[in-house]
Amino acid sequence: MKKPWQPPRVARQSRPRVVRPSRRMFLRGLAAGGAITVGLPLFEMLLNDNGDAWADGEELPTRFGLWFFGNGVRLNSWTPTVGADWQPPADGGLAALLPHKEYVSVCSGLDVKTPRHPHHSGMSAVCSGGPHLKVDDVRDTIVSTMKYPSVDQVAADYFFQEQPTPYRSLEAAVTRFRGTDEGTTFQYLSHNGSVNGETNINPSEESPHRFFDRLFGGETADPLIKQARASVLNAVSDQIADLQPKLGAGDRQRLAQHLDSIADLERRLGAPSPSCTKPDDPGDFPDLGGNEQMAEKNAAMSDLMALALACNLTRSFSIMFSTCGSGAVMWPAGATNGQHYMNHTEPAPWTKQHDSVKFTMSQLAYFLDRLKQTPEGDGNLLDQCSILVCTEHTEGWTHSQDDMPIVICGKGGGRLKGNVHQRDDGGNVSKAALTALRGAGLPLTQFGHEAGSVTSGMTDLEV
Amino acid sequence: MVRLTAPQLHNTYRALLGEPLILPDLPQDDQLYGFTSLSAATKTVAPVEAELYEDATYAVLDQVWADPTRRDALVGCAPTDLADACVRSFLEDFTSRAWRRPATTAEVDTLLQLAQQIAPTLDASEGLRFALAAVLQSPHFVFRVATGQPDPDTDFLRFDSWEMAARLSYLITDGPPDAELRAAAASDALLDPDVVRTHAQRLVDTPEARAALVRFFRDFMNIGRLDELDKDLELFPMVSDTLGLSMRREIERLFENVVFEKEGDFRQLFTTRETYVNGDLAAIYGIEGIEGTDFVPVTLPDDGKRGGLLTTPGFLALNAHKTESSPTHRGRFVRISLLCQDVPPPPPGVDTTLPEPTGGPKTLRERLAAHAEDPACAPCHKQMDPIGFGFEHYDAVGAWRDTEHDLPIDAESELDGVAFEGGVELGGLIAELPRVGDCIARRFYQHATTHLDERSERAYVDDLVDRFVQSDFDFKALVVEMVVSGGFRYALPQEEE
Repeated sequence: MKKPWQPPRVARQSRPRVVRPSRRMFLRGLAAGGAITVGLPLFEMLLNDNGDAWADGEELPTRFGLWFFGNGVRLNSWTPTVGADWQPPADGGLAALLPHKEYVSVCSGLDVKTPRHPHHSGMSAVCSGGPHLKVDDVRDTIVSTMKYPSVDQVAADYFFQEQPTPYRSLEAAVTRFRGTDEGTTFQYLSHNGSVNGETNINPSEESPHRFFDRLFGGETADPLIKQARASVLNAVSDQIADLQPKLGAGDRQRLAQHLDSIADLERRLGAPSPSCTKPDDPGDFPDLGGNEQMAEKNAAMSDLMALALACNLTRSFSIMFSTCGSGAVMWPAGATNGQHYMNHTEPAPWTKQHDSVKFTMSQLAYFLDRLKQTPEGDGNLLDQCSILVCTEHTEGWTHSQDDMPIVICGKGGGRLKGNVHQRDDGGNVSKAALTALRGAGLPLTQFGHEAGSVTSGMTDLEV
Repeated sequence: MVRLTAPQLHNTYRALLGEPLILPDLPQDDQLYGFTSLSAATKTVAPVEAELYEDATYAVLDQVWADPTRRDALVGCAPTDLADACVRSFLEDFTSRAWRRPATTAEVDTLLQLAQQIAPTLDASEGLRFALAAVLQSPHFVFRVATGQPDPDTDFLRFDSWEMAARLSYLITDGPPDAELRAAAASDALLDPDVVRTHAQRLVDTPEARAALVRFFRDFMNIGRLDELDKDLELFPMVSDTLGLSMRREIERLFENVVFEKEGDFRQLFTTRETYVNGDLAAIYGIEGIEGTDFVPVTLPDDGKRGGLLTTPGFLALNAHKTESSPTHRGRFVRISLLCQDVPPPPPGVDTTLPEPTGGPKTLRERLAAHAEDPACAPCHKQMDPIGFGFEHYDAVGAWRDTEHDLPIDAESELDGVAFEGGVELGGLIAELPRVGDCIARRFYQHATTHLDERSERAYVDDLVDRFVQSDFDFKALVVEMVVSGGFRYALPQEEE
C-alpha cells in the first residue's frame, strides 16, 4: 500500500536509498537510441492514440515552476481588470505577457500574513507559504533563512514519490547580483527548510555554460563505471549514517540532507540515460560595455530549462530572475544604479522601477514563449506547466506586503483555466501557492504554515 | 561541523595528490555575517553540490591515474594486487591524512572491500581509485568533524589533538595539517596550549598563512565584491575590466604589508600613505607614469587627500553606487564593519525615497539633509551619514573631486562629537578609537570559532582583545592568541533534541 503523500512540513528527512528504475523510465531508456529528440513530441509509441497520455493510461507529466523577481512592482500600473480576459492598465507592467495571456492568470489582493520584516517575510511567504526563520539579529538588519521548503521543493517531493526523474529539481539564476548579507533569504530561491537555522538551500546555477554542461555535457555511459560510482556513493551513505548518531541535533539534520543528496546521485546512476538531444553550448555572457547581458543570459537559461523540461530531466524547477532585494542594475530599463537602491531613491512616479518591471516581464515572456513553442502530446509544454511568478514586496520603496503581485502561468495539464484575474482582498498570500501547486497536479487541500496556512486557493483560476 | 570552503578543498586536494593539479569547479562559498567561514559552519550539502563534489573528486583522481608513474609514486607501489601490503598501508595513510585523524582498522577494511568489489570488473588500480573516491566524498572529508571529548578538569568538551591540528591548520593556512602538526597530534601533544602556540607561531609565517589571513581580511572588508565592480562607463571612462580586482589587490597588499612585512601595529592601515598602485589604480589616484598590471610601491603625497585604508579607491568605490557616492553606505560600513556597532534597518512602511531636488542643483550631502530632518530617518542616519560626509571628496570610483554639480564639496563633519575634515583626518581619528581593535579581534574570534560569540564566551573575547592591545595591535599575535584561547580549544555544549 502506498501511503498518501503529505507535503513536507520541515526539512526533508532521509528517503529510501535505492530506487529501482520504473517501467516507464525503462521504456524511455529503450527509446534512447535517438528516437526521442528534444523539442519533438514524446516518443509516439509511449503515448496513447489521442496523444494526451502515456500508453498505459497515465497522464502526461505536469511540471511545476517557481519564477521569482526581486523588489516588487509599481502597483497602479500592474493590477489588470478583474475576471476573465483580464486587461492591463495603460502601459501596464504585465503588457509583455499579453501574447501569452491564454496561459496567464493573475492573483491580487493577497497579503503576507506571517510576521513582517522588510523583504524577509515577503520572500518566505510567497515562496514557501510560511514565515522566515530569523537566525540572528545582526548589524543593521536580521539574518534569515526559509523555515519551510519553498514550493518548488514541495512539488519536487510529490513528483519524486510519484515518478522519479533524473533530477529531483533544477535551479537556475539569471541576473548576477547575489544579495546582501542577510542570510539565504536574500541570496537563494530554492530552500529545503531549516530546522535549527542551518543553511539548507539548492543553489541556482548562474552560468549558462555550466548549466549546459551539467545537463547535456554527457556522462560516461560505461555501465561498469556507473556501477562503481554507485558503489562509492553507497559507501559514502554508510559513512554518513555511521557518523550521524555521534553528532548533535543540528549537525545530524545537516547530514540528513547530505544523505538525501547522495541518494539523488545514486538514483540517477541507476536510471537509464535520459534521451535528450544535445543543444549547442550557449557559453557565458561577460559584461558588455559595463553592462550585464541580462536578456542574452535569460534566453540561454530559458532555452536550457525548456529543453530540460521537454525531455523530462526534471518536473520541478525554479528560475531566479533576480534576488530578493536585488541590486542588479536594470540598465535595459534605463536604470543607472542597483534596483534596490533605486527603489529607495527614485522619486514618484517611479518610472524606472516600472520600466524595470516591464523589462522583467518581457524576460518571463521569452521563457513562456519557449515553452509554448515546445510541442508535447497534442499540445505544448506550457499546457503541462504550472508556474508561480512572484516577488517579495508589493512596492519596494515602502516594503509593503499587502496586495502582492502574483501571476500563475500554464494550463497544468488542463487543471488551470488561464486568462483569469481573481481578486481576493485581504486574502492570505499562500492561496496563490496552493492553486499553483494544485495546478501542477498536487492533491492538496491545505497549504502553508503557521499564519500562512490556508485551506482554499484562488479557485477562479482552477478548472 | 564545518564544511570545507573551496580554497580549503583545493589546498587539501593538492596536499593529498601533489602538483601539478588542475583544480576543479566546486560549490560556491557564500558569506554569512560577512564571512565564508561562518556560512561554512551552517551549510548542508545540496544535491547539486553533492554532484559537484563527485565531479571534482574524479577530476582530481583522474589526473593522477592518467599517469601510471605518478600514480605508483603516490601509492608507493604499482597497485596491481589489492592484497599487497603496500596498497593497504597507502590507503590507511591517505585516508588518515584526508580525514585529518587516524582511520580505524574497520574503516580501512571497508574501503579495501570496496576496492576489491570493483576490481574484478575493472582492475585493481581502478578499484583503488574508486576507494579513494569514497574517501574524498566522505562526510569526514567534506566536513571538518570535531565534537570534542569530555575534559576531566572542566564541564566543557575539549577538542582532542587531531581536532586541534585540523582547527589550527585550516584557520591559519586554509589547508590540512602538515607533517609536523600530524606528528604532534599523533603524540597527543596538542592539548597543551604551549605546544599549540609553538605550532601557530610556525604556521603564521608560512606563505599559506598569508593567503588564508588575507581571505579573512577580504571578508572583513567585504572586498570580494570588488571583483564584480559595477560602475557607469560613460561617467567613469577610466574604469577597466580589471579595475575592481586591482582595487581589491591594493587593499590586500596593504594588509599584507602591515601584518607580514612590517609586522607592525594593525592600525597603521588607517593612516599609512605607503601603498601599491598599478595602471588601473594610477588612473584613479591621478598618478602619472605607472602603467600595466604589476603593482608598484608608492608613497602618496602628503597633501591631505590620501592616506590609509579609508581613502583607497576600493573602499570608496565598493561603498558607493554605480553613478554616485554614498555617504550612507560609507558611514554604515565604518559603523557596522569597522566599529562593530549596530544600526537598525529602515522601519517597515517608511517611504525611503529622497525628496526630489528643487530650486537648482544640490550636492548629495544637501539632499541627504532630509535624513537628519525627518524624525523617522534621523536616529539611524545620524549614525551613518555624518561619517560618510567626510568622504564626499571621493566620487563613485574613489577619484578625488573638488566639486559636485559645480558646487563645492563640504567634507567637514563629526564622528561622535569630534570634528574632522576629510577622509585622511577621519582615518586618523578612527585609528585612535579603541573600538577599532576590539572590533577586528571580535570578528576574528567569530571567524576562528565559526560562530557568533555567545554571552558565555565574553571572557574569552575580552581576553583576546586585551592580548591584542598588549601586543601593540600585532595581527599575527592576535592569530596566535586566538588559537590558544579557551574559546578555540573547547567546544560549546551541543544542543540536544
